[in-house]
Amino acid sequence: MTRYAMLIDLNTCVGCNACMAACAIENQTPVWKNVWRTYVHDQEIGIGDDVRRRFFPRLCNHCENPPCLTVCPTGATYQRADGLVLIDDNLCMGCGACEMACPYRARYELTYTDIREGKVFYGNLRRTSPGYDKCNFCAQRIDAGRKPACVETCVGEARLFGDLDDPQDYVAKMAASGIAQPLMPQLGTRPHVYYINEMKRDV
Amino acid sequence: MEVNVTYETQHLWTTWFAVYLYLGGLGAATMTITFLTDMYLKSHKTLAIWGALTGLIMVGGGSALLFIHLANHAAVVHVLNPLAIFFKPDAWIAWGTQFISWMMIASLLYVLPYMIESPIIANLPFISSVLKTRVVCGLGSMAGSGNIHKILGIFSATSGLGVAVYTGLLLQSFPAVALWNNPGVPILFTVSAFSTACALLILVMHIFMGRDEKDTLLRGLYERADLLLLATELLVVFLFYMYLTRGSISARVSAELLFHDLGWLLGFIGLGLVTPFLLELRSVLSLGHGQGQTHLPTVAAAVFVLIGGFLLRDYFMAAGIYVYPT
Repeated sequence: MTRYAMLIDLNTCVGCNACMAACAIENQTPVWKNVWRTYVHDQEIGIGDDVRRRFFPRLCNHCENPPCLTVCPTGATYQRADGLVLIDDNLCMGCGACEMACPYRARYELTYTDIREGKVFYGNLRRTSPGYDKCNFCAQRIDAGRKPACVETCVGEARLFGDLDDPQDYVAKMAASGIAQPLMPQLGTRPHVYYINEMKRDV
Repeated sequence: MEVNVTYETQHLWTTWFAVYLYLGGLGAATMTITFLTDMYLKSHKTLAIWGALTGLIMVGGGSALLFIHLANHAAVVHVLNPLAIFFKPDAWIAWGTQFISWMMIASLLYVLPYMIESPIIANLPFISSVLKTRVVCGLGSMAGSGNIHKILGIFSATSGLGVAVYTGLLLQSFPAVALWNNPGVPILFTVSAFSTACALLILVMHIFMGRDEKDTLLRGLYERADLLLLATELLVVFLFYMYLTRGSISARVSAELLFHDLGWLLGFIGLGLVTPFLLELRSVLSLGHGQGQTHLPTVAAAVFVLIGGFLLRDYFMAAGIYVYPT
């Protein structure tokens, strides 16, 4: 079995936002309204003179126990055997329950206007109906044997993609070791995006 | 992983959604109460017609509000499909949609024989001509026959209960928000739905049924039921206060939002719960029911309960706190 997961190392993310750009072009996201499937938060942490900058990439966590899936009334949100949580555009009626249920703010709405603007912006827009959208780990690329666009483009190798069920996989090892940890595990969602936190260091 | 967090309310399901939850719960509970009254307490065709029409208008209006806010209107057909509850038994919206749909159909059939007989309905333009058509008359006589009528009534009442519970279960299914993700929400929303329904019926009976002396017992019964429901609601709100002020970060911020807000304290708890509770208690204890006494306190209590029911849902939607990692 394969269970895909992403590892994000906050020590090596330089905040270049290339992942956002690559994702937007690959997945035709509505960038004109500053909405992205993956987003890099740029933060200043600390007080007084002891302030540092941290870049914190975010995306859908492809939870093993996704609350967005259980609340979806039409079955538009579904989970593949390899762990990817995807949306069937044709089934999604855009009620917003998935956005309300997601504790990671990974979902966004695509309106009729977005579809019209998307056709102008991207030329050949693949999505034809409004509804909800989110990161799909670039399922179309994974199925073609490639890595997600954000992973492939990351200059600092801050993003790595792997298989949690492969004991030799680096991502699986980091997740199993506890060095890499998911966000808000207390919610029981069992996310498949793991983070290596910044090492404590003097500024 | 240790990260910074931000506390945020949501801006997706706002007041319009509170209206949907309010109308859905109130309409469904009104239907349930009137049908159970008609079947088991006192045969009351006028009240049953009132209950069904009120329920239909409110639940229909609430559903229309939800429909307007859908991103993809054409895809709604997937949730209207009765098989949706088999494909998605874990999704409360799927159950709610089915409860609402079947409740509306069964309730209309339940009161159809009454509407055909009713002199008031028979004089309404357009509706009277529809009721006289062969198909409708046939449906009416079929729905009005003994067991079928009772089955329709029980089915509508059960579905109505389902809708009232669903409005709370829907919020309960969002794990990130402590205010919503607990078993108190469906209880509070169900109790509130039935309390507001009692208030609405008291109001309807006072204003539109001409204080019929034959209904005095029924009005008193609704008042007593509402009194108990208000007391239960006050208890549940107190339990929420205890849970929220001693809970997670999300719960504590929600508690701050709610219990430091005059709209919640004076509007919902003061005006919507405590005041009608005291007014109804006074009425039930017959302290103000002497000869020539006004019914104003009873009517005012009912109006306050109805206002409180909406405030509860509006504040609940507004005070749900997400704790986002940043």
